[in-house]
Amino acid sequence: MISWIKSSFRNRIFVTVLLVTLLPMLLCDVFVMQIAISGSENMLRQQATEELGRLEEKLKGMLEQADEVTEELAESTVVRSALRRGGSDSRLLYQFLYQKSSQMRDYAVAEIYDGEGRRLYSSESSPGELKLPTGWGALRSAGETQGLSMQADSGSGLSMSRAVRSYDGGILGYILVRVSETGFDSLLGDSFSSADDVFLLDGTWRQIYSSDSIHTRERVEELREALLSGRELGDGYYSVYLSSLGESGFTLALRQPRIYTPAVMTSVYYACLMMGLLCLVLSLVCAWMISRYLSKPVKELDEAMGRVEKGDYEVELISDRSDEMGRLSSSFNRMTREYRQNLERSVQHERELNETELSMLQAQLNPHFLYNTLDSMKWLGVTNHVPQVAAMATGLAALLRAGISGDKLIPLEQELELLEKYLDIQSVRFEDRFTWETDIDESFQHCLVPKLILQPLVENAIIHGVANMDDGYIKLSASAQEDTLILAVEDNGQGIAPEILEKLKNPEREMPAGHLGLKNVDRIVRLYYGREYGISARSEPGRGSRVELRLPMSGEEKKDA
Amino acid sequence: MIAAALVLLSAFTAGCGRAGGTDGSAFAPAEDRRLVIYTSHKQEVYEPLIREFEQRSGIWVELETGGTTELLKRIAQGDTDCDLMLGGGADSLSAYAGCFSPYYSVHNGDILPEYRSADGSYSPFSALPVVLIYNTKLVRMNPPEGWASLLDGSWRGKIAFADPAVSGSSYTGLCTLLQALPGDREENLKKFAANLDGRQLSSSGEVVGAVAEGSCYIGVTLEETALKAIAEGLDIAMIYPEEGTSALADGAAVVAGCAHEENARSFIDFMLSPQVQQMLEEDFSRRGVCGAGEGTEGLRLIDYDIQWASGRQQSLLALWEEQFEGAEE
Repeated sequence: MISWIKSSFRNRIFVTVLLVTLLPMLLCDVFVMQIAISGSENMLRQQATEELGRLEEKLKGMLEQADEVTEELAESTVVRSALRRGGSDSRLLYQFLYQKSSQMRDYAVAEIYDGEGRRLYSSESSPGELKLPTGWGALRSAGETQGLSMQADSGSGLSMSRAVRSYDGGILGYILVRVSETGFDSLLGDSFSSADDVFLLDGTWRQIYSSDSIHTRERVEELREALLSGRELGDGYYSVYLSSLGESGFTLALRQPRIYTPAVMTSVYYACLMMGLLCLVLSLVCAWMISRYLSKPVKELDEAMGRVEKGDYEVELISDRSDEMGRLSSSFNRMTREYRQNLERSVQHERELNETELSMLQAQLNPHFLYNTLDSMKWLGVTNHVPQVAAMATGLAALLRAGISGDKLIPLEQELELLEKYLDIQSVRFEDRFTWETDIDESFQHCLVPKLILQPLVENAIIHGVANMDDGYIKLSASAQEDTLILAVEDNGQGIAPEILEKLKNPEREMPAGHLGLKNVDRIVRLYYGREYGISARSEPGRGSRVELRLPMSGEEKKDA
Repeated sequence: MIAAALVLLSAFTAGCGRAGGTDGSAFAPAEDRRLVIYTSHKQEVYEPLIREFEQRSGIWVELETGGTTELLKRIAQGDTDCDLMLGGGADSLSAYAGCFSPYYSVHNGDILPEYRSADGSYSPFSALPVVLIYNTKLVRMNPPEGWASLLDGSWRGKIAFADPAVSGSSYTGLCTLLQALPGDREENLKKFAANLDGRQLSSSGEVVGAVAEGSCYIGVTLEETALKAIAEGLDIAMIYPEEGTSALADGAAVVAGCAHEENARSFIDFMLSPQVQQMLEEDFSRRGVCGAGEGTEGLRLIDYDIQWASGRQQSLLALWEEQFEGAEE
């Protein structure tokens, strides 16, 4: 990955742009979400704490009130004497009961029981007959404590009881204040949000009151179970807030629904993920485009430089940009153009120099001077009886004449005569160590061939073939293949080295010095007649070689050559 | 690739920022104020009992309910946190005596001798006599008097009796009948089975219903069930068989090596306290096992042989089944 990034200017730009566009967006995403969630949770927590505070206050007020009322009733002479007397018809006691319990009557019922547990008086309208066990529940605990005792009723609701004792300590009866489920509803109902649930729990977390009227028991049992098994009380859907109600040992629990429930969180995550992916795609596209826009001219410049290094000065960058990149491109173009022009100028210069040198050479060694010299040499040979010198001078003069005469194409017959003259000269030089033979059909004698085209082939056969032999043999032959005239030069010499053969086959390769003759012939023929003509060679080392020259049969000159 | 990782990371960190659930550990009771009870009692029995116990002692009771056999098996396997097994007949509890640590309650002296556990592995809680019931509208003259009535041909096909292979109390009823009546027990079993006329109920709970709705005239059930049905106002009368009946006790036992043994023992003391024993008869239609309450007053008990009943269970039930296969053919 890192090496991929480092490998290219473009990849660096791509990754940088990607990170720069994506990272801030994602960080924003995370932080905004965090802030939103923790903000709303804080708000809810605060709301719950406030609600708990209100509820606590009300419940404490209720307990205080109950304490006061039961104490006043339990200590009053009216109650004591009514209980001592028995019966449930004391108007005075009723009056007293109503008066004392007036503040609580909205939510609670105050009752007076005799020592046996029979209900005698009740602030409730039309109470039926009721007998509570004195050895069980509220009356038992009242009998065993001096002050107010509080107990959850078996279903739900709260009983607060106090024993009425005679002056000698015996139990005359009981004062009982009962707060039922509906009593709690009316006492607490306006102190908390209707979305929340409130539970009042006794010392062992049994339900006294639950505002959840549908799942009346289950909720508290769930809480109790969670507490006992050490689990967290809330879950993904609800938060639970607890408050302990002072001396009573009761616990107040507030169950508040969460806003960010797992379902909501899932959709939030989903939305985040989708947004993230969208961002990713956008960033990818942007980064790709920007990196391409920035790196394309650099890459082009890089490539163009590469080509220039390889010697291709024809490179030109095309750019319609007007920024630094555009200027860089046109500077590059200007540079290569100037370099090209410089090169052309220096080549031109060299050529001019060469031509000057050549014409000077031609002026110095002009052909008439050479003929006359050769002619003088011939007559000197004749007069001094050295016929070889005379023959050589005659042959050389004929070759020279043919070489500078105007015709570029001559009949094969004439070419062979010139070749014979050349071979005569060479056989003198090589002291007749080789023989030659021409095997050319009469029908080919009038074909036109480039002047002196066979001479380099034969020279090659002599110098690189039979030069070091005592019985060298060179054979010239001609054949036809459709419209192509094939002239072959064979020798029995040492053959052509394979690397030279290889280079001969490939027209682009440079030939080593000494073998330029063949190559030049090949090039001239190709230039004259086209690529399908030229030289081909076959050779086996030590067993001679055969070089073929392919020419058009008619000898017609190519018009476009 | 990096971006995808970042997206995931963002979602993850967003999730981590949330406040967890409420930690109520400050409110949780200490270990010495806890008690884990397994019970096979019905809710109407255990709930008031446990609520009162909690209010008196401040001990937090954790409850697990289930069938007697199932709970006892779990305790025997030893991978429970159970402190106290509440419920189950004295016979079942003694069968698992090895799982329990002996305890003699402070009220042990009050327990009637016939219910007292010899080795203290369990403490009896309440006694459940087997009784006969009859439909008061259908049976006006000559109500059944005792076990002998069940063999009387005049009640043939009119007796509500649950399959003893399914119902434990029905099996106790059958054994009580066999032990209470004179003569060969297997013969009596065959006679009784024949008198059912091929009809037996699939659970003990159906007995009261079958008698109350009149599909049967008389039935065999437990006193507790009969008293509740009568209290509900069904047209049923209950009689104690004149030959005498059995009253097996159910009980509670402290699991050996449990975490809250002290609390389990204090629950047994509470359970045997006069107030609770009295409540059993007043509110639960059950009989206490202590002399202080009604006890076995007004009840003629036979000397019920638990050993015989449990020892012969398989052969008796096989014989019983034979009778019904024959009846169906």
